[in-house]
Amino acid sequence: MTYYIRICLQYLLALFAALTVNFLLPRLAPGDPLNSLLGSDNVSTMSEAQKQEVLADFGLHLPLHEQFWNYLTGIFHGDFGNSVVLGMPVWDALMQRLPWTLLLMGLALVISTLIGTLLGILSAWRRGAVADIATMTGSLFIGSLPPFWVAMMLIIVFSTTLGWLPSFGAYQLGTSFPNWNWFLGVGKRLIMPVAALTIYQSAAVLLIARSSMVMAREQDYVTFARSRGVSEGKIFFKHAFRNALLPLYTHVMLGLGALVGGALIVETVFSYPGLGSLVVTGVNSRDYLLLQGLFVITSVSIIAANFLTDLFYPLIDPRTRRAG
Amino acid sequence: MPSRFGALAAAVALVGTMSGALAQDTPTTPSIHTKAGVLSAVNNDGPKTAKSLTIGIWNTASNITTYTIGNSWNDWVLYMISEKLLEPSPYLSNAHPWLATEVRQVSDDGRIWEADIRQGVKWHDGTEMTAEDVAFTYNLYLTGPVNRWTHHVSDVPRIEKIEATGPYTVRFEAPRPMPNFDMVTAPEMPILQKKQWENVEDPRTLTDPVIGTGPYKLVDYKADEYYHLVAFDDYWGGKPTVDEITLVMIKDPQTMFAALKSGEIDGAARALPPELVAEWNNDPAIEIVQAPSLWGTWMQMNLNDPLFNNRDLRYAISLAVDADTLVDRVMLGRAQSGKHGWPHLDSTWTKPGMAIPFDIEQSKAGLEAAGMKDVDGDGFRDKPDGTPVDFRIVVSTNQPLYVRAAEIMVDQLAAVGLKSHVEAVDTATFNNLTTSGDYEFSISEITPHGLADQDQYVQFYSGDQMRKLLENEPERLAIYDRWWEARTREDRQKAHFDLQEYENRYPSRFMLWYPDGLFAYRWQSYDNYVSTSGYGIYHKYSFLQDAAREGFTVPLDQKLDD
Repeated sequence: MTYYIRICLQYLLALFAALTVNFLLPRLAPGDPLNSLLGSDNVSTMSEAQKQEVLADFGLHLPLHEQFWNYLTGIFHGDFGNSVVLGMPVWDALMQRLPWTLLLMGLALVISTLIGTLLGILSAWRRGAVADIATMTGSLFIGSLPPFWVAMMLIIVFSTTLGWLPSFGAYQLGTSFPNWNWFLGVGKRLIMPVAALTIYQSAAVLLIARSSMVMAREQDYVTFARSRGVSEGKIFFKHAFRNALLPLYTHVMLGLGALVGGALIVETVFSYPGLGSLVVTGVNSRDYLLLQGLFVITSVSIIAANFLTDLFYPLIDPRTRRAG
Repeated sequence: MPSRFGALAAAVALVGTMSGALAQDTPTTPSIHTKAGVLSAVNNDGPKTAKSLTIGIWNTASNITTYTIGNSWNDWVLYMISEKLLEPSPYLSNAHPWLATEVRQVSDDGRIWEADIRQGVKWHDGTEMTAEDVAFTYNLYLTGPVNRWTHHVSDVPRIEKIEATGPYTVRFEAPRPMPNFDMVTAPEMPILQKKQWENVEDPRTLTDPVIGTGPYKLVDYKADEYYHLVAFDDYWGGKPTVDEITLVMIKDPQTMFAALKSGEIDGAARALPPELVAEWNNDPAIEIVQAPSLWGTWMQMNLNDPLFNNRDLRYAISLAVDADTLVDRVMLGRAQSGKHGWPHLDSTWTKPGMAIPFDIEQSKAGLEAAGMKDVDGDGFRDKPDGTPVDFRIVVSTNQPLYVRAAEIMVDQLAAVGLKSHVEAVDTATFNNLTTSGDYEFSISEITPHGLADQDQYVQFYSGDQMRKLLENEPERLAIYDRWWEARTREDRQKAHFDLQEYENRYPSRFMLWYPDGLFAYRWQSYDNYVSTSGYGIYHKYSFLQDAAREGFTVPLDQKLDD
């Protein structure tokens, strides 16, 4: 019990540290939201008093410690302030976009995990064979392609040249949930962004799965099982795979936490209305309040995912269980 | 000898008289260098009306209110909904009656003006627009929160009293002359509905669709994602030619043009990169047009740097700028040379015939005279106090053309012995560096608002850096003061011309080029776009009936030589 209390306290501390960094990070970068709100040709002609007057509308004129206090208390009241660049409450903007990011990132995570794990296992199974070398080389090559380039290539091939898939957005404008055309539009618009992310992510999963499996296969218990005459397939899937799951599980759980952060580049290229493209908007306009809100939900989800990962480790691997 | 001197004096006097006479003929009709017309191989003839159009926009339009749109990239979106007393813009001195049937000067000294408000104009909620709405709007801009438009009533000019003197008459009074009220202020300020705005505590947080008098009603939107506009049947200027327009946000330029090419959008409301003109010239589905946009690209210098306090040094550097090469190599010839200076070559407010020479030898001589010599023998000039020079030319990473231009500028400055290097930074950092003064040179885009508007030209002097020039250069200050005190449009234009001439002689920034204004659309969807200077082809006038837009728009029916 003491262990769990200690874990909880550690995570609370980590959360506070993350919230503090989230507050400071946007403010450490040079710039402020004025240029985005008023245009640089106007800002360059404004007096300091006028600038402060505009910043006051967003509470950004206050001393840093007061802004920090307002930020912390705001979080507990669900008040993240008003976005400078969107002209709407930050919380509303986040909730508008969160489902799209969860859908996009979640699908990419599931597909890349399945593909990566499968290929990783097969590669480990055929370690050293031509198939293994080809899979490794191919995955390293594909995984090193920049996602924005992959995204652009997909658009050029499937949108511009073939005209099969739409190149931007998350749904067909003019349709609404739960209309069939809406679902069709959503599905079509998911294919390319999910593919771009999957190509990128599955290479990492493949490498983790393969190396875990290779290491597991070299353990004493595998040698022992083999000496007992257990079939190779049974050894592979029953003994080695179960033990190789832990690094994969960690990777997937961390991916689950990062899911909320969105995919900055891919969402921007495909004009996908998720949180990732919102981060780009927030950074480009130095919209502190929007960035704070985005970072808060990303931090909370990552910390929560870590927390859950820690909690469930003992269930997956009994070796990690502790007495008491 | 005396006779020669006499002849010279007479000639100078004659030139002076002529230039004085020329200045009286104001505002000038500029010889438009950037023609409007079709660049595609074939001048197609598509439909003049449409049920619906989807147009891509790239810069956030937020809630489409005057308090959340801060730039000139998307102000046309606002003008689809909210209108001005006179239109189309302050850039052409051809302001036409719009929400006002007349805007007249009441006092001889140019301090008092009156506007007659058009009767029968309906707001999108069906109520009638009155003088109360206009007076409320101008007062809100005067005393309320700052926005991109407010300085046109609170600074240049500084209006002190705005009141509705009748149901359809509004009176404006200022302590100083404002002879250009009808040419700059009235065609600049979008009118708000008093009923919608009077109880809004914080105008920056209004999320309800804004109610305007324009040809389109905003019926649905998600900020930064899409805006759905529907034609306003009771529009006073007649039913718009397109029933519904959906503006979709596509920030990535390649995705935007890919979507246009694939037919997902009908128009791309951003400048077409010059290299795509040749690539798409024969595309049967896409029409490429050229329309004066009054945009420009300039290289600013940090006037907070004591080095640039020396006006002769600034002039010497300006002589080293080879704008023609930039036009050829960066814009592939699809721009006008910036050697004309500031403001825009095609602006109605611009003094005709100005030119800044490109002369490397004269530039070197000027730098020598300013004390910029190679003291340490490294092949580059040093500051007069011997400190080595390595100018930073900052550019924004989202502007690849400017990065290229900056690289060329490094070579051009090196040709006169000035060492420099390029620093590409993200947009927000770029804006911060340039407004805080932490740079030597910066290359950026300048919109028509900053490049083709006489009041804005003077408004720039409210900024810290330009104010420094006024403090250090009495001649500049004298002309500036003369502009403020001018009671007539002619006197003000003359002062403005003098200020331009002085500015080009002792520049505070270097114009590099004025882009041709290249746009593309799918002609089979809709082919009734028109050009109006300052906005290209994407603006509300492209969706109005011919009768409503005659006189200040140019049809795109001319095939231009490519």
